[in-house]
Order: sequence, then C-alpha cells, then structure tokens
Amino acid sequence: MKRYRAFLIPAAGLLAILVGFLMFNIRDNLVYYKVPDEVVGDASILVSDRFRLGGQVVPGSISSDESTVTFSVTDGKQTMVIVHQGAPQQLFQEGVGVVVEGTWDGDVFSSDSMIIKHDEQYRTDDGGVYTPEQRYPDE
Amino acid sequence: MKARPLDIAAVGTLATAFVAGLVVPPDAVQGDLQRIMYVHVPSAWLAYLSFTVTLVASVAYLRWRSLRWDRIAGAAAEVGVVFTGLALATGMIWGKPVWGVWWTWDARLVLTAVMFFVYLGYLALRRSFDDPELRAHRSAVLGVVAVLQIPIVHFSVTWWRGLHQPPTVLRPDNPQIDAPLLFALLMSVAAFTVVFAALVKRRSEITAKEDEALRFQEAGATAGSDITAPTIGGGSS
Repeated sequence: MKRYRAFLIPAAGLLAILVGFLMFNIRDNLVYYKVPDEVVGDASILVSDRFRLGGQVVPGSISSDESTVTFSVTDGKQTMVIVHQGAPQQLFQEGVGVVVEGTWDGDVFSSDSMIIKHDEQYRTDDGGVYTPEQRYPDE
Repeated sequence: MKARPLDIAAVGTLATAFVAGLVVPPDAVQGDLQRIMYVHVPSAWLAYLSFTVTLVASVAYLRWRSLRWDRIAGAAAEVGVVFTGLALATGMIWGKPVWGVWWTWDARLVLTAVMFFVYLGYLALRRSFDDPELRAHRSAVLGVVAVLQIPIVHFSVTWWRGLHQPPTVLRPDNPQIDAPLLFALLMSVAAFTVVFAALVKRRSEITAKEDEALRFQEAGATAGSDITAPTIGGGSS
C-alpha cells in the first residue's frame, strides 16, 4: 500500500503540472496559427521565419495562374496577401477559413501548404449560394 | 444469446438514425461529406459518456466496495476506448477531404489521442491484477483521476486557437446548425447512447461470469486440499 501511494502522489503531481502548463503556458506560446493582426507590423518576424497563418478568404480576392493561387485573408482587422504554390484544397472558396504555412516578407505571404479551417456552422443549402454575408448576417 | 429489449432498442434506434442521416439535406459548404458528422460526433459523445460512467462507477465502488460497480466501470471504459478510437478514425476520414490533412498537431486532436491512450492504459491496468478486489481498487483511482481529461478535451477548442472548430451544439449560446441536420445528429446521438447502454450491460455481465469462474476455480483448489487420505482407524494408538 505504501509503495502504491509513493507512485500515486508523484503521478498526481505530474498531472497537476501538466494541466497547469497546458492552461497557462501553451495558451500564449504555442498557438496553432497566427492571425494577420499579429503579423502585420510585427518587426520581430523575420523573412526566414516559417509559420502558419489563419484567416478568412476575402471575397473577390482570388486569382490564379498555372502554378499559384493569389488571394487575401483577413481576421477582420488586418488583411494579408497570400501567394500559394500549388493547387488549392477542394473546399477552397471565398469566405472560407484557411490556414496557410510559409513565410512573410512584409508585403506578401508565400505559402506552400494549405489547410481549410471550416467553422462550426452547418446549414442546409436552400438553393442559395454560400457567401459569408449569408452565413454571418450580423457581421 | 437471447435478444433483449435493450438490444432490440439499440438496433432499432440505430437503423432509424441511419435513415435520418441519409435523408436529411446535405450541408451547404461540405455537401455529403458532412454526413460523417453523424458518426463522428456521437462517437465523441460516447467517449465523454463512457468515461463519465467510469468515474461515477469508480466513486461508487470506492464508497460501497461492491464489485458490481467495478464491472460497470471497466465495461464503460472498454466501450469508451472503442468509440474514442472511432471518433479519431472518422475525424481523420473527415479531415482528409475537408481540411486537406489526415492529421495535424491541433490541441483537440492531440488531447483526444492522449485520452485514448490513457484509457487504453486503464484497461491494461485492469488486466494486470488477478484479484478482483485489488483490480477494482487500483483501477477506481485511475478511473477518477483520468476523467479530468474530459473537460480539457471538450474545451480545448475554445481555450486554444487550433484547427478543429468550436462546439456546434454543446455551447452556451444557440446551436449553430439547421433544424433538419440537428434532428439527424440528435437521432444518432440517442441511438449511440442506447447502443452504449446495451454494450455496457452485456460486458459487465460477461465480467461477472469471469469473476465467478475465477472464484470457483480458486474455491475448487482449496476445497481439494481439505480432503485428506483416509487412514485405517486405531493404527498408532
């Protein structure tokens, strides 16, 4: 029984540390992606820094040629221009959330990896076309 | 094995939910891909439910020391591990076409995988004791501690900025889902819950039989040792 307790107390301590670390540390440091407002104007981000950037695709901003897709993403405060190398994802469209990975030179974000971040809304298609205004009537 | 009302209810509700999941209109953005939700969400729900049942049964065991509670705790955890695995698998199948990746190091995904392995460890712990009382006591402690993961997994999508979207239904404000889709989702959640009840009932009965067989075996061994060879009376005196 004593040995069992000797195991249990460190295990509980470890768990407490883990939970505390997750709640207070990762929250600030290890975000899955940055948003344009955190990137634009941040001089500490170097051209060589590779990071993920997330935001909503600005309607009307998409243009593409043979190998790249150019579009803008916004977080509602700042907008950034993305040049994505390669084919976009299946669900890539105006108004959808995207997480792109690449580098930022102060003007253009060069991405080579794209993940779609869909929101938590599920709507039936009543013959209408999906637009952000339709999905977010209050914004 | 005889089919019982609970089993029949499980199959019946599951069949109804299956039909509902197929006939409701598709999601406007994802199309038919969104139907994976009717398996993914109830699986994740069963993970939460199972491990909560394991918690309650573990506390009940520690309070009343009845092996009946321990068997329920073990059965629920076993079902929970299966459905956590199913939630992870369907999440990957859903993630590939919609997100574009099978897996990514997002908080929700990582923490769900951690929860899967912790409860796999719980099941391994249960198997490492021959004595049912010892098994019950040790695993009850882990069954209580491990449940802390449920709120962490559930709120991971609101606490940390990740890829997985926040909750659609289990949220403080209105559900962000149209009525027909919500109907199909609630149908499948109800069906999975009945399936859970049926599986836990069966599994704890099987464990009860196993424990009984073990007791019988041990009792048999000691009963045999009580029998001594007959001696011819009046020999040594």
